[in-house]
Amino acid sequence: MRFLSRKGTDRLVKCLSAGVTVAAVIPLFWIVIEIIINGASALSWNFLTDLPRPFGETGGGIGNAILGSFLINALASVWGIPIGIATGIYLSEYGGGGRTGSVVRTAVESLAGVPSIIYGVFAFTIIVMTVRHYTALAAAVALGLMMIPLVAKATEESMKVVSSEMREAAMALGIPKWARTEKVVLSIARGGVLSGALLAFARISGETAPLLFTALFSLYWPTGLDQPMATLQVLIYNYALSGFGDWVSKAWGASLILVAIVLVINIVVRVASRQKFTEGT
Amino acid sequence: METKLEVKNLNAWFGEKQALKNVSAGFKGNSVTAVIGPSGCGKSTFIRCINRMHEVVPRARVTGEVLLDGVDIYTSMDAMDVRRKVGMVFQRPNPFPNMSVVDNVVAGLKLAGSYGKDELSEMAEKNLKAVGLWEEVKDELRKSGASLSGGQQQRLCIARALAMEPEVILMDEPTSALDPASTTKVEELLQQLKKFTTILIITHNVSQAARVSDMTAFFYLGELIELGETESMFKAPQNPLTERYITGRFG
Repeated sequence: MRFLSRKGTDRLVKCLSAGVTVAAVIPLFWIVIEIIINGASALSWNFLTDLPRPFGETGGGIGNAILGSFLINALASVWGIPIGIATGIYLSEYGGGGRTGSVVRTAVESLAGVPSIIYGVFAFTIIVMTVRHYTALAAAVALGLMMIPLVAKATEESMKVVSSEMREAAMALGIPKWARTEKVVLSIARGGVLSGALLAFARISGETAPLLFTALFSLYWPTGLDQPMATLQVLIYNYALSGFGDWVSKAWGASLILVAIVLVINIVVRVASRQKFTEGT
Repeated sequence: METKLEVKNLNAWFGEKQALKNVSAGFKGNSVTAVIGPSGCGKSTFIRCINRMHEVVPRARVTGEVLLDGVDIYTSMDAMDVRRKVGMVFQRPNPFPNMSVVDNVVAGLKLAGSYGKDELSEMAEKNLKAVGLWEEVKDELRKSGASLSGGQQQRLCIARALAMEPEVILMDEPTSALDPASTTKVEELLQQLKKFTTILIITHNVSQAARVSDMTAFFYLGELIELGETESMFKAPQNPLTERYITGRFG
């Protein structure tokens, strides 16, 4: 005898999966709400533009950390994204099927799996140890390295789904290989490539471990890329553990800014990729 | 009329499998030749040997000669140059979705040559007019090529091939994905195009072959069974296989 009717089973599975889905989404909302509750009170114009005050003194802001995060992320993107895209193009259009291709692909996948702290230790060893002081450049090297596999994978995947009809159509026009790759395949895949680059940017925006070994922190405005530099991530780390009430509340405020940046990037990617689908048909 | 395109002892393979067996044929300039035969008979392989698209398939191989105005396209020409002189239109319309209507028409010129901006827009207009699309799309030239209807897309693809000013145009079942009205437009277009180019068109539709072509080539199991004037071939085929195919008894 059946314990449940067919329809009953259907309803049960539906309820279960809906329940599990809600359970999976709760943490995200919980985190966001908690950060808003604790962080909103710290927000003010001065909070965004001022320098931090020394330990024990209330007031001041996180302006240098916002600028520092932006500078380091931008510098990491400037070299990490192009190399990632070039690697993705190679894997999808050139050597992807061959022996070298499979070596490169394995390397990219392994690189994506390396814990972020290792990137930090690596940049520490080759740069910080050499110049004998903490530097923002080393942070940009570590974060840029992290971006390469993410961007390469996204580029390869989005170029591979471009239909072979497009490659054939371009070939039949006598268009040379580099132009077929760049102006046809890469151009059709540009939405996916851009999404990959933005998601990689969002990903490095949250990384803290590599920064502790490289840019470390500073209470002042950035003076040069070869100097230590404040970032939102390290500021949150330092302030949250300080035990000083004003700094703890500023750590919440900085968290709110950081989460907002990452959420905005994710939403932009979602909206942009939805547009791409409606255009494509 | 002179022989524009000549094929001598052409053989083609996919790996171990032979797809074309010793095909020899001549095609006159300014004519339309229908290439017919049952599925898998080597029609597509045949026309892909004429713009050197067969050889790009992994493990594919070609032997024999293909002469365009007497010049062997395999030994005396670069593959890219061959494809600029021998255009191709595919079964499914395949405009580039990342490019506007205008940019689609001049895609080949833009990406394979050096032309000025004015020259390109002139070429775009001229070729859109040639395929009868200008009046329909002149207000949406900046829209994506993929936003047009299926029939318009296919004529856009023909315009794109024409813009290269090819000597020969190969068409692989260009109307099989189109509605009857669009099919008629493309068929009428062929009669205009043959004034300045030579056309080989694969079709699964025997009555289309009868309507549009001057010559017909019938392929079976990789061999060219019969090549002749369409009118006489449809009235009195020389080979019993041809007769059985065009009367619909197999294929």
